[in-house]
Amino acid sequence: MTKAKRGGASGWLIHPLLIVWALLQLYPIFWLIISSLKPSAEIQAHIFALPRSLYLDNYNFGVFNQRGITIATYLVNSAIVTVASIVILTVVSLLAGYAIAKLNGPGKNLIIILLVGMLGIPVHSLIIPLYYFIAKAHLLSNFWGLILPYVAFYLPFSILLLQTYFRDFPNEIIEAAKIDGCNKFRVFSSIVMPVSMGGISTVLIINFLNVWNEFLFSLVIMKSNAAKTLPVGLMSFRGQYNVDWGPMLAAMFLASLPPIVFYLVFHQNIIKGMTAGSLKG
Amino acid sequence: MTRSARRRYLQESATFYAFMLPAILFILLFIVYPMIHSLILPFFQWKGYGEAKFIGLRNFKTMFTEDEYFWTALKNSVLFSLSGTVGTVLIGFVLAVFVDLKIRFWRMYRFFFFLTVSVSVVITGLLWVKILDPFGLLNTVLGYLNLAHLQKVWLGDTSTAMPAIILTAIWQYSGFTMIFFLAGMQSIDEEIYESAMIDGASKTRRVFSITIPLLKHVFSVVTMLQLIFSFKVFDQVWVMTKGGPAGATEVLGTHLYTDAFRLIRFGYASVIAFIMFVVAIIFSSVYIKISGYTRTIQRI
Repeated sequence: MTKAKRGGASGWLIHPLLIVWALLQLYPIFWLIISSLKPSAEIQAHIFALPRSLYLDNYNFGVFNQRGITIATYLVNSAIVTVASIVILTVVSLLAGYAIAKLNGPGKNLIIILLVGMLGIPVHSLIIPLYYFIAKAHLLSNFWGLILPYVAFYLPFSILLLQTYFRDFPNEIIEAAKIDGCNKFRVFSSIVMPVSMGGISTVLIINFLNVWNEFLFSLVIMKSNAAKTLPVGLMSFRGQYNVDWGPMLAAMFLASLPPIVFYLVFHQNIIKGMTAGSLKG
Repeated sequence: MTRSARRRYLQESATFYAFMLPAILFILLFIVYPMIHSLILPFFQWKGYGEAKFIGLRNFKTMFTEDEYFWTALKNSVLFSLSGTVGTVLIGFVLAVFVDLKIRFWRMYRFFFFLTVSVSVVITGLLWVKILDPFGLLNTVLGYLNLAHLQKVWLGDTSTAMPAIILTAIWQYSGFTMIFFLAGMQSIDEEIYESAMIDGASKTRRVFSITIPLLKHVFSVVTMLQLIFSFKVFDQVWVMTKGGPAGATEVLGTHLYTDAFRLIRFGYASVIAFIMFVVAIIFSSVYIKISGYTRTIQRI
């Protein structure tokens, strides 16, 4: 980095502005964490105070217990749906992304145009027929009823992102492997895939966030309380108990913990992947 | 075409479709099929079971002439997407300019500014409910500052509820637009800045005469993306106000949900889906045009 961009001594002017914005962004999350360690009455009485002692009762899953269904049920449901969705999604989009980047067939251009077009489709506009379709298939309140549509929704983005990684892979190596007697699946699985781990992990991480945080479909499809995922489960606590904020905040913190940890570890991939998928083809 | 070339072509096509098959199946079943269905549904009266009755344009007519919530919802969706987009694009750009100066801790700032994007809208929405609560953080701060006369039931007041939701969205997604601008800024050649500096251009001048013109493309892509994302807003509004008070924050997404899954009027609710779909197609085709995907396709 050269001086031209760095702008010399302007740092002390800019830092205050950036710090104010950072505080605005982070304080609510900090407040969520400290308040989840306070009894509800104390949250009401001293809303800004730090916890006097670590009050862990909010994290007792029994607090919101409805015939054996607690926040732990929702956590497990979210984990199952998320893991299954992102695994299937990655496998399917790997295959398709490779086909688009390195193979040829009639109708390929049309497929690409349709995929790009689907990036902007509001899935909300599909919710009514999909609900009906999933009800017909007897998959309401069933994990598959949520996993299969999720895979479909996030496929266009994942395929288009992965094909940008595959496209940069030199064709000469593929040709050489073929001459050595590798068939196309072999070329794909033992040569191209291993060097595309960067792309694969980016797709996994971004879709983890998408699926873990998804709300509307889960709200509509997971009708029985036992099948709800975390975001929807949180909302049902809110409705029934007139918000007991202590345990509510604890549950909210637990629900946001996996994405935050993922972000802490993988923010480079996330930031790169999100822009790569949409800025350039 | 010789016989062997023909065979090779067929083989290659077969492999292509073998690799594509799972993706094609998923998309046909869960996107294309429901999409076709959702384009037909608005012309029927249907409760989700039994026979659907064809009623032509009656659903559209009822919605446009008798449903006062529809116009509020449309107005709010447009308001939300326009002001949300302007807010996130402007703040995101300013943040990116500052972060791109590479002053000390810039990586940390970038990290902090994007953090909220990874958290669910349900969580941030509920957090803001608590901040804007009558006895919440904001009113408490106003009390400390002797500004008690400014205290409000922010989400319960028809005049402040919608702006509050929009500000929450801007708060959450400015980091999202920031990273697009940063990616764009990193591709600007250093030498352009250097020669501008030699010519004596001030830093502000450099932003306006170099950065902004060179990022025109990024500006339009990010703006379109944000418009597409925000026009379909549902989660945030549902979590914070459920469309209330008195319909003041009703958006197309919540109107659709209520009509379809609370009032069980599938055909009628599909009119809203239809409108959202048409708007999305328009936005998306502009996005495809400017994002360079068409150029990509030619390259392949």
